[in-house]
Amino acid sequence: MTPEEVVEKVKSALGEDIQKGEVNLGDAVIFVSPDALHKVAEHLKDAADLKMEYLSDIRGVDYLDQDREPRFEAVYELHSFEHDHSIRIRVGMEEEDPTVPTVTDLWNGALFPERELFDMLGFNVTGHPNLKRLIMPDEWEGHPLRRDYPLTTEDVAFSHNREYKSELVKSKPPTR
Amino acid sequence: MSVTEQGLLEREKDTMTLNMGPSHPSTHGVFQVVLEMDGEIVRSAEPHIGYLHTGIEKTSENKRYVHVIPMTDRLDYLSPPQNNLAFCLTTEKLLQCEIPPRAQYLRVIMCELGRLGSHLVWLATHALDIGAMTVFLYCWREREMILDLNEEISGVRMMTSYIRVGGVMKDATPEWLSKVRKFIDYLPEKIDEYERLLTRNPIWLDRTEGVGVMTREEAINWSLSGPALRASGVDFDFRKKRPYSGYENFEFDVPVGKNGDVYDRYLMRVEELRQSRSIIAQALNSLPDGPYKAEDNKISLPERSTLHTSMEALIHHFKLVSEGVSVPKGETYVPTEGPRGEVGFYIVSDGSNVPYRVKLRAPSFMAIPGMCKMMDGSFIADVVAVIGSIDIVMGEVDR
Repeated sequence: MTPEEVVEKVKSALGEDIQKGEVNLGDAVIFVSPDALHKVAEHLKDAADLKMEYLSDIRGVDYLDQDREPRFEAVYELHSFEHDHSIRIRVGMEEEDPTVPTVTDLWNGALFPERELFDMLGFNVTGHPNLKRLIMPDEWEGHPLRRDYPLTTEDVAFSHNREYKSELVKSKPPTR
Repeated sequence: MSVTEQGLLEREKDTMTLNMGPSHPSTHGVFQVVLEMDGEIVRSAEPHIGYLHTGIEKTSENKRYVHVIPMTDRLDYLSPPQNNLAFCLTTEKLLQCEIPPRAQYLRVIMCELGRLGSHLVWLATHALDIGAMTVFLYCWREREMILDLNEEISGVRMMTSYIRVGGVMKDATPEWLSKVRKFIDYLPEKIDEYERLLTRNPIWLDRTEGVGVMTREEAINWSLSGPALRASGVDFDFRKKRPYSGYENFEFDVPVGKNGDVYDRYLMRVEELRQSRSIIAQALNSLPDGPYKAEDNKISLPERSTLHTSMEALIHHFKLVSEGVSVPKGETYVPTEGPRGEVGFYIVSDGSNVPYRVKLRAPSFMAIPGMCKMMDGSFIADVVAVIGSIDIVMGEVDR
């Protein structure tokens, strides 16, 4: 199926659960709210004409200062081996409480990427069986891949250097 | 352990916790797995990663596109060209630029050489883990030749950064091409040699057949990719199904297994060695002439010789070196078929010369939970065989 057909098919099957559907640079993309995500994912996986049985990846994006609402986004990439087509689900989340439901009950492959969402971006994944830090140490504070997380050295507990300032240097905009 | 009323030591559970890694020769880097052992049998395996975390994704958000390419080399450090290609294809998709055929062919040659190198390291270490020392030395001998070829074309043995946005770093010389030809003519005999040592070796069969089995449904559900997925019977290869960089011009077979065990994964990769060799041979035979990078000087540097005569070339050169490429606003993803499976970058651009978000889809990272699932119920000695058969590279797992 072409990306256009995939988007049309999903839109006609799921109706109001799909906020928006588009073909972006040749890829089928749908926009879904966190509440509808699980239902949409289940349909994409099980419907005979879609059969998106493979979860390729889950990423989180922090759109800070980008003049767009909402700030956070989780992006799911699905493939179908049987029909050889793909779809991208973009789930926008509010800044105050970025929460998505887990899809680990549909795809076991989501176990690690969902933990990464929590670890690196601080998203709350409800229903995940083992939601704890994955890459950063357990006692780490903050979520490094948020755009307002400073790109500086780690804070040192003690230093002989009297000049040393213990407070982290606040984040500067990246040098262009 | 706790002390009973009689002062005897009592075990709290019937299983023993065994810590394997993070520094263990067969974990191929710094991978830790905590095993719950019931005698010799693994009851559960819990993976711990992050020991090699270098913050490449965070760093990429603060570097220009061209500066991200050398960092992508260090993700999957056994096949750097594949990461370069995945990053460049995604950037080029956002830029909507055309790549000349010669550049595409050179990219294919480098990627397939990278795949050969990566699979040789895999075969060497996998065989060594199981106890076959000779294969290790043989594979290293051939890989050395690939590193020499890398050095000659890019100046670096491993972290080549040869593939750039808009094309490749520099053109291939006829001498280099003839050396590649010599190498691929030499290789088939050596692949037969590895196979003579392993494929029908009873010890090898005992250690690999029926070990770490994943059915087709399980393999898909646990997001395995590449040879591990194909060993379980899924006929899917991005080079065939969604051709990129001119793969549609080459004829090659995609090996598909049926048992999904360690032995089938071994067979898949050995066959891929032969297919990669054949792709390189076809690319050398039909290598087109022409430019090796995009003509658009807003994307790739103008020729050095034109700088003294053309004002426009000088301006383009200055702007590209001082500012870099500005990529139109948007987000996209291009999947490619790496030696371990689906490799791709999800790039979000805000319209500037620095990517807003870079996320790698790493096949090893996605495969680790499934790999630990395979260990359940197996013998402890098979844990090593299973880790080897998935071929994890911690550089791309921890990023």
